[in-house]
Amino acid sequence: MSENINKHETFTQAEYMVMKDDLLRPIEKVGKAGKIWIAFLVAVLLAGVVAYIIQETKSKYVTTSLRDYTMWGIYISNFLFMVAIGLVGVLMSAILKLTNFEWYRPLSRIAEVIAIGAIMFGGISIVVAMGRPDRLLNLLLHGRIQSPIIWDVIGITTDLTACIILLFIPLIPSLVTCKNHLKNLPKWQLKMYNMLSFGWQGTPEQWQILKKTMKTLTALVIPLGVLICTITAWLFATTLRAEWDSTNFGAYFVSNAFLLSVAVMTFATFVFRKAYNLEKYLTEMHFDKLGQAMVLMALIHGYFNINEYLIPAYKMSGLHENTLLNLFVGKEAGFYWSVVIFGIIVPFLLPLFPKMRKPLPLFIISIVVLIAGWFRLYLIVIPGLLHPYLPIQDVPASWTHYFPSAVEMTVVAATFAGVLLVVTLFSRYFPIISVWEVAEGELEGKEEIFNYK
Amino acid sequence: MKKYNYFLITCISILFSITTASAQDKVAKIALTFETVDSLHVCKAFVTSEGQPVVELPVKLSVKRLFTKLPIGDAIATDSTGVATFEFPNDIPSKDGKLTIFASIVEDENYMDTEVSGEVKWGQIVVSDNSNVDERSFSAGRDRAPIYFIAISLLIIGLIWGTLLYAVLQVFKIKRLGKLEEIKE
Repeated sequence: MSENINKHETFTQAEYMVMKDDLLRPIEKVGKAGKIWIAFLVAVLLAGVVAYIIQETKSKYVTTSLRDYTMWGIYISNFLFMVAIGLVGVLMSAILKLTNFEWYRPLSRIAEVIAIGAIMFGGISIVVAMGRPDRLLNLLLHGRIQSPIIWDVIGITTDLTACIILLFIPLIPSLVTCKNHLKNLPKWQLKMYNMLSFGWQGTPEQWQILKKTMKTLTALVIPLGVLICTITAWLFATTLRAEWDSTNFGAYFVSNAFLLSVAVMTFATFVFRKAYNLEKYLTEMHFDKLGQAMVLMALIHGYFNINEYLIPAYKMSGLHENTLLNLFVGKEAGFYWSVVIFGIIVPFLLPLFPKMRKPLPLFIISIVVLIAGWFRLYLIVIPGLLHPYLPIQDVPASWTHYFPSAVEMTVVAATFAGVLLVVTLFSRYFPIISVWEVAEGELEGKEEIFNYK
Repeated sequence: MKKYNYFLITCISILFSITTASAQDKVAKIALTFETVDSLHVCKAFVTSEGQPVVELPVKLSVKRLFTKLPIGDAIATDSTGVATFEFPNDIPSKDGKLTIFASIVEDENYMDTEVSGEVKWGQIVVSDNSNVDERSFSAGRDRAPIYFIAISLLIIGLIWGTLLYAVLQVFKIKRLGKLEEIKE
């Protein structure tokens, strides 16, 4: 304890300078690997744009595998995945911040940027799935306020706006730091920092306003994030399909989103730690905490997963029988049990061991959880659609099964590249770890106002 | 011998095709009659060929629905008098009570495909109570959403976007305070 107090007392302006050097370094210089990475992401994104143009200009019957039964394919399951990892801002920034878990500090901005990228490309996935983007406006002009689809549009737009504002406000002091500290940057970049810093002087009144607004927004994004996850679940629960006929769906989706949020946070923390040499700030302690969070979230999600499948399986009513047996012992069984093992059991069991909560093992676990998580959502959408209430008869063979076409896969790959590009470019122009928030953490317990310029 | 196998199989196939084709040349006629006995709807299909009743010939019964024909049970074979008798359900919905019923012979070995239809008033008239169509409800159109729901929705949207607007205004307040500080300095 006394060691900690001494540590805080010795945190000086000089140490703050070192911290600034460390955290602003990625902005100053983009290495060759960084440039190749950005070029790769741009190429994948462009390939997705081309695929989308092909989809829109040629017959969708040829370019996509979507048919009358599987009218929602991987575009929608990908949308669910994006919405789920979009909750990372809520969990890793807002909830930890409001509940005074101090270890959130270096993670919060990473989480918020991922959330923005994911929600943005989640929204784009919906537009892609619509097939007729020119009709997007009709959704607003002729939509029904009683419909979950309209609430999804409202929710995503609002959440995205809230996340952007919540990202921007704490960024203001960091922009001044960039302006003052980084001199070898192009003029336009320095001008941008100057313009976006909104005359920040670091006065006590400005700090007070900044922190009060941050607190309000932080409290706001929690229900907003939970809302869009729940509404997305309702899109399914209110559609007539046996597999989606569930009162548990909202909570099931939210618990899944929290688990995926921890996984995506672990993944991003590991990558930034390695790529930008931030071991001093993204420490093993963070991975330890993320590992513990992963166990908790896997446990909660496992509970909802049991509710979601065990109760209907116990009753095995005619309506559910088809789809459940297909998942448990039928055509999709291998797929389903892999998702349960790698998506729930692995993140629950492995991080229970401290050795598995070290950076590299947890990073590998997080990749496994993310892949399983993506397929879990695929398994919610596709088999559900392929088991309608009315029996399938006298239809073309291609309607009775679904495998995504090359166009669909390219577009989905492009949405991933898009999210990664948003996060990468942000980290190239803005500090990905909030300098003042980390410094403030070092000063924990002191009442003085430190002007983080 | 093996080298003749291909030739033999081809010959047999051709012969089989010729035989089958000529066998299916027979034309059957179906006469469809409807009667109601003790509130039980009975549909009879009398099948003849060249003036003679056809026995043991499967006949399928179906009823016209909006897009396609709905099969009524499995195919029933004609009896010794050439009649296939079907019990027709009395709960098939219809707008005006009229139903178009089809009797057909499909893919028989001896007889060509044929189909006849008849119209009968055996449908259960669907009475729709549309008196509540103008009421406000969750299932109604956009202009008929419940008032309380619209009010709550607007309140929630207003509160959230109001908070977001407040946050944006705070940024401008920060800017104003910064300018004041600059003047002071």
